[in-house]
Amino acid sequence: MKDSNNSTKEKQSKLRNDIVTSSCPHDCGGRCVLNVHVHEGKIVRIESDNGEEPQIRACLRGRAYRQRVYAPDRLKFPLKRQGTRGDGRFKRISWHEALDIIASKLKRIKEKYGSSAILYIGYAGSIGCLLHNKRAVARLLNIFGGFTATWGSASAEGSHFSSKITYGTSYTGNSRDDLINSRLIILWGFNPAATIQTLNTNLNISKAKEKGAKIISVDPRFTDSAATFAHKWIPIKPGTDVAMLLAMAYVIINEHLLDQKFLDTYTIGFDRFKEYILGSEDGIIKTPEWAEAITGVAAINIEDLAREYANSKPAALKMGFAPGRTAYGEQAHRAAAVLAAMTGNIGIKGGNAAGHGWVPIGFIQRNGQFPGLPEGNNPIKEKIHISKLWDAVLKGRAGGYPADIKLLYVTNANPLNQFPNINKGVRAFNKLNFIVTHEQFMTATARYSDIVLPINTHLERNDIIRPWGFGAYYIYQKRVIDSLYESKSDLDICCELATRLGIDNYSDKSEDEWLRELFRLSEDISRDVSNYDTFREKGLHKIKVDKPIITFQRQIKDPENHPFPTPSGKIEIYSQQLANLNNPRLPPIPKYIKPWEGSNDTLANKYPLQLITTHFRSRTHSIFDNIKWLKQVEPHAIWINVADAKERGIKNGDSVLVFNDRGSLTIRVKVTERIMPSVVCIPEGAWFKPNKQGVDKGGSPNILFKDEHSPCGAFCSNTCLVQVAEHFQEE
Amino acid sequence: MQWGFYFDQTRCIGCHTCVIACNDWHDIEEASANWRIIKCVERGKFPNIFVAYLSNSCNHCSVPSCALACPVGAITKRSEDGIVVVNRETCLGRGDCKTLCKKACPYDAPRFAEDVDAKMQKCDLCLSRLKENKEPICVEACPMRALDAGPLDELERKHGKKRDAEGFAYSIKLKPSIIFKSK
Repeated sequence: MKDSNNSTKEKQSKLRNDIVTSSCPHDCGGRCVLNVHVHEGKIVRIESDNGEEPQIRACLRGRAYRQRVYAPDRLKFPLKRQGTRGDGRFKRISWHEALDIIASKLKRIKEKYGSSAILYIGYAGSIGCLLHNKRAVARLLNIFGGFTATWGSASAEGSHFSSKITYGTSYTGNSRDDLINSRLIILWGFNPAATIQTLNTNLNISKAKEKGAKIISVDPRFTDSAATFAHKWIPIKPGTDVAMLLAMAYVIINEHLLDQKFLDTYTIGFDRFKEYILGSEDGIIKTPEWAEAITGVAAINIEDLAREYANSKPAALKMGFAPGRTAYGEQAHRAAAVLAAMTGNIGIKGGNAAGHGWVPIGFIQRNGQFPGLPEGNNPIKEKIHISKLWDAVLKGRAGGYPADIKLLYVTNANPLNQFPNINKGVRAFNKLNFIVTHEQFMTATARYSDIVLPINTHLERNDIIRPWGFGAYYIYQKRVIDSLYESKSDLDICCELATRLGIDNYSDKSEDEWLRELFRLSEDISRDVSNYDTFREKGLHKIKVDKPIITFQRQIKDPENHPFPTPSGKIEIYSQQLANLNNPRLPPIPKYIKPWEGSNDTLANKYPLQLITTHFRSRTHSIFDNIKWLKQVEPHAIWINVADAKERGIKNGDSVLVFNDRGSLTIRVKVTERIMPSVVCIPEGAWFKPNKQGVDKGGSPNILFKDEHSPCGAFCSNTCLVQVAEHFQEE
Repeated sequence: MQWGFYFDQTRCIGCHTCVIACNDWHDIEEASANWRIIKCVERGKFPNIFVAYLSNSCNHCSVPSCALACPVGAITKRSEDGIVVVNRETCLGRGDCKTLCKKACPYDAPRFAEDVDAKMQKCDLCLSRLKENKEPICVEACPMRALDAGPLDELERKHGKKRDAEGFAYSIKLKPSIIFKSK
């Protein structure tokens, strides 16, 4: 790239470039239009949607994509480890040699230990596209005999689980353009200003506010969403959301504000819930005073919010995924849905079922799978939760896990950085026989691998992509430039590995043939888009939707003929499915369960600060942490309240040490009134860079987190106790 | 005629999309040279806090203090649209004139890359795009539709006449060409 010294002539010529439509494929909350300008085979600029409304405008990350494609640290060639794992010494090898090594390791491990010794971690680096994603390697390994797979989502397992139990589906949301019909919007642990959260969410919240909706933010931080949209901010201790929601239920019951007709018609089990709230089950009445002691929210604020919510129909209680990313976080999402039912805010304009929030448009998940490259069948059925992978590698069958893992295959993921307890992860990596990673950059995971293969970016390949959450459009991601350096796609690599593994049925199609086939097989896309070739040329296909989509409208208007997709056909406040589990950690009605590493844990005497990890606007998880334009936006820093900083002699901009028994990191500090006392926040996704003593100078918070998931399988990335201290630079 | 900007501060989420879109369109590498800047205003005590963002670039003042300060006349105000432009061929560069234009501007609009002979650069309202009837890239990029650009009288008819905002003080002397919906 050049400085703006470019002559006017060159700039003029840049206006007449070829413009090719694509979209980001990352797991960020958006899936926006990139109109990429190409001049003589090189990307020179990126514009976004400036066509018909609603426009799908890219965020800063999409706008910065040119720097990611041409980043000087792009991986260019296959690499083989030279030094010890993690020390970063690699040598360039040929594709031929790299693939030979991988094939022979796969064969040897399978022969000696069986296919379950192969652990495959494919995740969300490229997601939502039909062809180029984690499935390429899954397909190869399945044909090869299977692998130990992972389960659990780092994102939203808590809210998925709750919605499936309560409503029978994750499709519980009204489309975002319905927000303007709400009188009250509660943003609960929801900060779309940092994450987009699907098409025009922020714009629609702004429009709702301009139309007169009252907006309240419940969050440990005064987020940018709170700052921009909220009339009122209610700070709450992390992991205690369920206690506040239960106390709100108490107020609504106690003051007779509930919609009994709605509960009688559409739900089952409210009486059991009511008994629990009124204390007949455990002797504890779930009053606002009870909740105040747990949540740090004054009882009067809980009462006011309960009354306001019950009296402001239609009201949208919009749960972010964050409350569910805590110990027993699924209980908060279950309780929120009960509140939506108690106030009759389900299936109506301006309401919100307070569920996972997908809207049945843009993509439809079938049988738990998004249509795409067929993975085939994995004969190995036992999976390991993503929070427990490192423990499983270290302990194996002797520790109760389903396999003795010897070989790790990673694509579209940076698990060492992004899964909890990095130090345990390093020990696990060091125990493994062989690690291969497909990557675009030298991430922490790549650095600890034995072979690293360079992968092209989505701008160097063709694909078809769906909206991230929902939205009435699809994008054909047309190849913009040829693959840079020696990079290849996961699919190309797997084709070559298949030959070496003696597999002849991996792929009989070219990229275009695959896309035509997957287009045909995708029931939503082939329904909405008439012609593949026109779509391929046009790039962006918007579906006309004339009014907001109100989920569960039919169930509410005509319950006789339209049951909810639950076993009982009703909204399940009490779930027999959960009762059958007979697991006190997953009760049939939503309950407060004292979490580990909460503020009232005895460990808080030693580590008094609750750490939360939030999304950062200049990264998509661990992607983009090396991009110059984005690094300028905001320094990676820990937020700490002014009082907590003062107590520790810490000043804004200082470098601090954050630690607990699992690890430590150093990071710049932002001293601010925007976070509640006793809570600190480190944005996730910074790149793990340990010094010789094992202190992470990159500030990746996962070095501090316990490798434990909530009972439903949710990732507890907001449950952690730490201490923060002044840090004197030793280097 | 005088062209200028409109900024709706009540909508801005501080996302920086305008900044990165500008950097990409105009090939700006270094933060010190960014034409557009986001400023964050924070005040108050927990839990009563006020936060506002201000997205600002060159305001194409009626009386451009940068042009008056330039020792070689490299900065001029176009008569047809009032857009203030810099001739980078004649600009002396940061080493030779000690960034007199930058020092004269209360809005930090004249920008310099870090190298010693970097020439001044700043927002030109995307003149090349205006010629093709396109909006400035920042306006087209803003996911919140918080920015607008056009002839100032038209902007006033559309958006009102408010001349200041959180983090922005209107200079009566320079008359910056920007109107606001302030927070």
